[in-house]
Amino acid sequence: MSNRNKLNGILKKIRGKEGNIIPVLRKIPIFEELTFRDLKKIELIVHERTFMPDEVIFYERQPGTGMYFVKKGLIRLTKTLDGERVRSAELAEGEFIGEMSLLEEYPRSAQATAVVKTEVLGVFRPDLLDLINRHPRLGSKILMEFSKRLANRLRRTTEMKVEEVELDGKK
Amino acid sequence: MERSEFQKLWEAFEIIAIGCVLFGILLVLYLIRGLLTPFIIAFIITFFLSPVVDYMEREGINRTLAVILLILLTLIFLFILWKLTWPILQTEITDFRENAPFYVSKIRGSLEQAMKLLEKKAGFIPEGTMQKAIQQKISDLITAVGNVDFLFKTVRYFLFTFILTQLIVFFFLKDGRRIRKGFIAYVPNKYFETFLNLIHEIDKQISNYIRGQLTDAFFVGVLTIIGLSLFGISYAIFIGVVAGIANIVPYIGPLLVLAFGGLLVLIDSGSIINMLKAMGILAFVKLLDSAAIAPLAVGKRVNVHPLMVIIVISVGGLLHGIWGMLLSVPLYCSMRVSLRILYRGFVEYGNW
Repeated sequence: MSNRNKLNGILKKIRGKEGNIIPVLRKIPIFEELTFRDLKKIELIVHERTFMPDEVIFYERQPGTGMYFVKKGLIRLTKTLDGERVRSAELAEGEFIGEMSLLEEYPRSAQATAVVKTEVLGVFRPDLLDLINRHPRLGSKILMEFSKRLANRLRRTTEMKVEEVELDGKK
Repeated sequence: MERSEFQKLWEAFEIIAIGCVLFGILLVLYLIRGLLTPFIIAFIITFFLSPVVDYMEREGINRTLAVILLILLTLIFLFILWKLTWPILQTEITDFRENAPFYVSKIRGSLEQAMKLLEKKAGFIPEGTMQKAIQQKISDLITAVGNVDFLFKTVRYFLFTFILTQLIVFFFLKDGRRIRKGFIAYVPNKYFETFLNLIHEIDKQISNYIRGQLTDAFFVGVLTIIGLSLFGISYAIFIGVVAGIANIVPYIGPLLVLAFGGLLVLIDSGSIINMLKAMGILAFVKLLDSAAIAPLAVGKRVNVHPLMVIIVISVGGLLHGIWGMLLSVPLYCSMRVSLRILYRGFVEYGNW
């Protein structure tokens, strides 16, 4: 038993410390299935940022180039409707936003502001493309996860549309 | 949310602070400019080699191992190239240096004659002034070329630079992304996304340019050497090497090589036919290069108007000599793409 512990200890030393980013990355659905080695590679393209209360993370209509993951703190999303700022959602620890701008540059649909002192992790498209280019196998894993999520969303929208049409028909 | 007076003040202060930091960095760079050469060379080599390392990494080789392997391979390749071409190049260079006074006196003779004629025609120049000036310049040149001490110093400096460059290349290739991320970490939140995009775009521009130009230069050099050797023209390798290097400077480089090569062959062989042959080959290689090699090697060539290229290169040469000429176009492209992204980020989307 003690031999086994020793072995585990040695293995841990070889693999290196997990640090404080990898455990957080594990919680992101897109990276859920990845191994420790894969996550190590992702860690290299993750940017850690800290925002003060009321500091804007991104503005509405600004070209989005990546996703943010709330490591600690709270983010408020607001939208402009008829010239008025409307609160649309809040993101707490463990939630994320902007994963679609990883795939394509698209204007942000809302403004994100930190409510309290907030720590976020950011992953951005140029870095991700570079990573996919260097590690195609890892890239295909990530893209597969993306596609699954997209497919899910699409199915849900289609179902909603079908329901609407059926309801209209009954009327 | 209204911005308070304090916030406005703070923002103004922030912009001034960023300006000061940038100015400080430039100042430090200027003060240590003597040390910059190995870094610039290392940058260029890194840009050239990084796709190879990326490829090896893609094939599953650990990045550090890939970098070590690649640098070893490059060193071996350079050594073999050196062993193969150095003896010939050396004889050509010694030949050139031995014959230089002869060439120089020939050029001086014709120049002096031309000047005498000019002085006679234009009466306002006192007789003999230009002649003296030419003699002074030319004797300066001969002392510079013939100075052994100067040569020795150059070799020592070259060795030092070479070793330092190798070390820098190793770390740039291995940890380049980590270094970049470290830098980005210090950018204020507000400019962070814009800056990240900027760095990637500049990286793309510069690496495309350097990779393309170096590949292009290599082919032009080799083709020139082959062409000149086939026609039995002396100094084939010497002219070929110069043609390859000069090809990195668009438009102006090839023209200078055409003049230089033609003149060298004319003075050496004394026959106009040989000169025409050499110039014909040089022109043909350049034509072939523009038609077939450059589009392939440079691919999506940075789209800059020829007139702008000439202006940019002239300014670069004026400010910083040869380095200025070599680096001016990629620097110009980076500045252009930076302005475009900054404009989009700050003006169109109001992220100011």
